[in-house]
Amino acid sequence: MQIVYWVFILLLVSFGAAVMGLEILSSNLMSPYFGGSIYIWGSIISSFMVHFSIGYVLGGHLSLRHPRLSVLAVLLVAASLWVLLIPAMYKPVCEFISERIADVRLGSLIAMNVIFLVPISLMAMVSPYVIGIMALWPRRPAFTGGMVLFISTVGSFVGTNATAFYLVGVFPVSRVIIGLGIICLTVSLFVLALRVDNRIKW
Amino acid sequence: MISKPHNDSVLSIAILLIEQLSFLFSLKYSRTSLTKTDAARVWAANSLKGVFMKAGAALGTALLAFFLFLPVRAAADDRILYEGDSIYHHITVRQDGTERCMIFGRRQDLRQTCIDFARPDHPVFEYTAMMFAAFLFRPDASSVCLIGLGGGYVPAVFRRHLPSVRLQTVEVDPLVEKLARRHFAFSVPPGQTLAIDDGRQFLKKSRERYDQIWLDAFNSDYIPAHMTTREFLTLVKERLAEGGIVVQNVFAGNRLYDAQLATARAVFKKVFVFEGRQSGSAVIVAADNPAVEPEGLRKQALAWGGRLGGIDLVAEAEKCRVAPVKGEAPVMTDDFNPANLLLMQKK
Repeated sequence: MQIVYWVFILLLVSFGAAVMGLEILSSNLMSPYFGGSIYIWGSIISSFMVHFSIGYVLGGHLSLRHPRLSVLAVLLVAASLWVLLIPAMYKPVCEFISERIADVRLGSLIAMNVIFLVPISLMAMVSPYVIGIMALWPRRPAFTGGMVLFISTVGSFVGTNATAFYLVGVFPVSRVIIGLGIICLTVSLFVLALRVDNRIKW
Repeated sequence: MISKPHNDSVLSIAILLIEQLSFLFSLKYSRTSLTKTDAARVWAANSLKGVFMKAGAALGTALLAFFLFLPVRAAADDRILYEGDSIYHHITVRQDGTERCMIFGRRQDLRQTCIDFARPDHPVFEYTAMMFAAFLFRPDASSVCLIGLGGGYVPAVFRRHLPSVRLQTVEVDPLVEKLARRHFAFSVPPGQTLAIDDGRQFLKKSRERYDQIWLDAFNSDYIPAHMTTREFLTLVKERLAEGGIVVQNVFAGNRLYDAQLATARAVFKKVFVFEGRQSGSAVIVAADNPAVEPEGLRKQALAWGGRLGGIDLVAEAEKCRVAPVKGEAPVMTDDFNPANLLLMQKK
């Protein structure tokens, strides 16, 4: 198997896992300020869905204009840096919003979007970007679109379970987020350094 | 009275499921038998089909029994007055003899709040008796904030036996209030107030100071994690008047208990516990300047005549001691908060 497929798998799994890890952790960020009700989960899931949608459309669009992994990797570096800032950012953001908006549904929805819109939209671009790049290859690629989604979902499965059932019991939330940010940053810098685009054999 | 309105719909869904299952089975095996030409094979396939049809029907019947039998059996012993879902819980109100209980969650044996209508101030559960004994750590309290209404047993005791205490109750779930009013004769008397709000949000917005803050917003299988942390207890402490105390209902049998004690100790100078003898309940009392120490509690109880309605204060005072220090238990914070994981880990 060509190296590019291993790079695809690395990106899909690590960002699939990071996105769901962040989704699980966001309830810990929200509940001190907006309570622990089902409303919080409504805000979390709906804002993540919006961010995914934005990422899918943008990722698909950009992949056809700039069908190079390096472009995706640069965007992912930006997303990772944002993730690293979340532990410092969430307290003042949630404090500011919860003091001004009494309705916890609206408050948590706004807080979720301020904190997660940029990084999650960027991270959601991985799958459509990979599919878009492969769609432009003259020869049939080894992965189908469904396979790409499968690999990314396996990553999400691992990220969800590891975070909810293990990591929160061992580390502070802020350290798990920093850890996820470092993993994402390392992966995207590594992909950038590999210069995969020049190694693809049609 | 609303009694299990979902039975009919469950039945029809179960029947629908069985129909679909057997339809799928028949479709699958009639197709395979069509391709066989040999008569013996057709016969074999048909008998095989019969076996599968029977298995499908048996499976369906078992499913049907599973769906229907459980609620029916529960209803045979006692009466379910309400069963439904709020935005927070699955709530059941059940009448068993003269006892009426509000039950949270699917595990019907746990985390009930009950009132015995024959003896309305009788503590059906040990933890409520221990909480009222904890009152004696600040016996001259004139204002108390209670987080977690349940069936309204605690406000009822305050109303009947401590009428001079201004009680502020906070309940997050509007349905709990509705059910308490409808099925537990709960009402808000003059001198008491009720707010429908998240406990932490309420205290954050409040400008009041309370002599005692009671935390009773906990399930046995789920705990609102944002009300277990050092930051939360610090907020509670800020809302306490000079000499005020926190009284917290918890469960002793899991690792969360040790973490709760460690967290209370991180915020308050003195931490005492009542450990239940008839149940796994425990009550944590935390304060900077309590009126008495656990050794003085019996004397305090006797000074009150030893009883508060149906509660034997002297017997409850016996259960109190200084909380043991467990070195390895973590302090929970907003950042490090494994409360619900610890809750599941038995000691």
